[in-house]
Amino acid sequence: MKTYDDLVGDGGSDIIGQVTQLGAKLRSRLDKIKHKVALMSGKGGVGKSSITANIASCLSDRGYKVGILDADLNGPSICHLLGVGNNKLIKKDEGIEPGLGHQGIKIMSMDMLLKSADTPVMWTEEANATAVWVSTMESTAIRELLADTNWGDLDYLLIDMPPGSDRIDNIRSLIPELAGAVEITIPSMLSQHIVTKSITKNHKMGVPIIGLVENMATYVCPHCEKEGKLFEGEDVQKLSERKKIPYIGKIPFDTRVSQSKSGQLFYTEFKDSVTGKAIAETVENIEKFIKK
Amino acid sequence: MKFLCIPCDVKMEVQVEGIMPEEKQNLTMKFKCKKCGHMIAMLTNNFETEFVSKLGVEMGGATDVSKAPMAAVSSSLAQAKEELKSKNPEDDLIWTEEAEQRIKKVPFFVRGMAKKTVINFAIEKGATTIDAKLMDEVREKVGM
Repeated sequence: MKTYDDLVGDGGSDIIGQVTQLGAKLRSRLDKIKHKVALMSGKGGVGKSSITANIASCLSDRGYKVGILDADLNGPSICHLLGVGNNKLIKKDEGIEPGLGHQGIKIMSMDMLLKSADTPVMWTEEANATAVWVSTMESTAIRELLADTNWGDLDYLLIDMPPGSDRIDNIRSLIPELAGAVEITIPSMLSQHIVTKSITKNHKMGVPIIGLVENMATYVCPHCEKEGKLFEGEDVQKLSERKKIPYIGKIPFDTRVSQSKSGQLFYTEFKDSVTGKAIAETVENIEKFIKK
Repeated sequence: MKFLCIPCDVKMEVQVEGIMPEEKQNLTMKFKCKKCGHMIAMLTNNFETEFVSKLGVEMGGATDVSKAPMAAVSSSLAQAKEELKSKNPEDDLIWTEEAEQRIKKVPFFVRGMAKKTVINFAIEKGATTIDAKLMDEVREKVGM
């Protein structure tokens, strides 16, 4: 009786050929992007998307071509932050045109694919859809958002990760050349506790960690620029020392960050503020890591 | 996965035409021995089906459905933008809401084949509208 290897091809689906084609499509897209950086945190609500958008703004200000992949499928916020509305999608044979946000930053987000701004991401409207199915679709969606977007030539693609550390497995397998991950925490004990897990996981998986950013490190008065404590917690620098990763940014909370209207980024308006300078310093540290 | 016809000792081939998988992620696929014509059916449960669908491929070979940008996302999202949907010559056929919902429940990686089967059946029959009744007829015809 013949064995597996004796039978040429497969059952007629050419699965290997299809997988190879999908991989080649993704590769051709990624090869035009110099540096891919994931911005993540185990914890939600630490300002990942806001930091991502402002880092993108700062990079763009320095002359880089920047794109953002909003990998937070269920809580996308990049479109809102960079002022990309629920416009008509431009679909070409070779892919979907990315949204053009503030400063020409290219964006792809689930928000761009949904019928209206208040439409949730649901893969089926059946109440008994299995969690496995949803998880499968999410992985497929990330691959398509990366591979089917006409990113063109980019210097940086920032990946705004969802809360938690589970999606990094997915991103790492799609982008093996990922330059690294920026971990973001706030000073609270709870946030640091959860971010520690994310850092440990990245160490174990061999994902390079660019460094730790302390967001909302202090409160800075927008009028007199005096700083004060916002959260009680362990010194975040100690966490970076303990986990042996660079401490690359201490970003104060400025109320003007949250007051920015859709499409107006804090960094472009207030780059000379204490918080603006802290964002710039973080970007310098990311650049140093990349150039190493 | 490959299937072997033991008496003939030859590979069985997936039957692209005539596939009409079950909805709700359970799947039935037919394989045929080219030599003796013997057919078998491979039955998978929803977990097995989901595992394959993660590859983003289509059984029976890639169709225009999977070649379109954001194919899996656009065809699987409950409420995707209209412009994401693929436009094909057979788009003149009208799908009722119920028929559209039913085809959406077919796993992505066999949806292209299932759609083709339904469309071919409708064209052959001279139907201009695809509804649930016609889909039932297809299922009855292909014996799935």
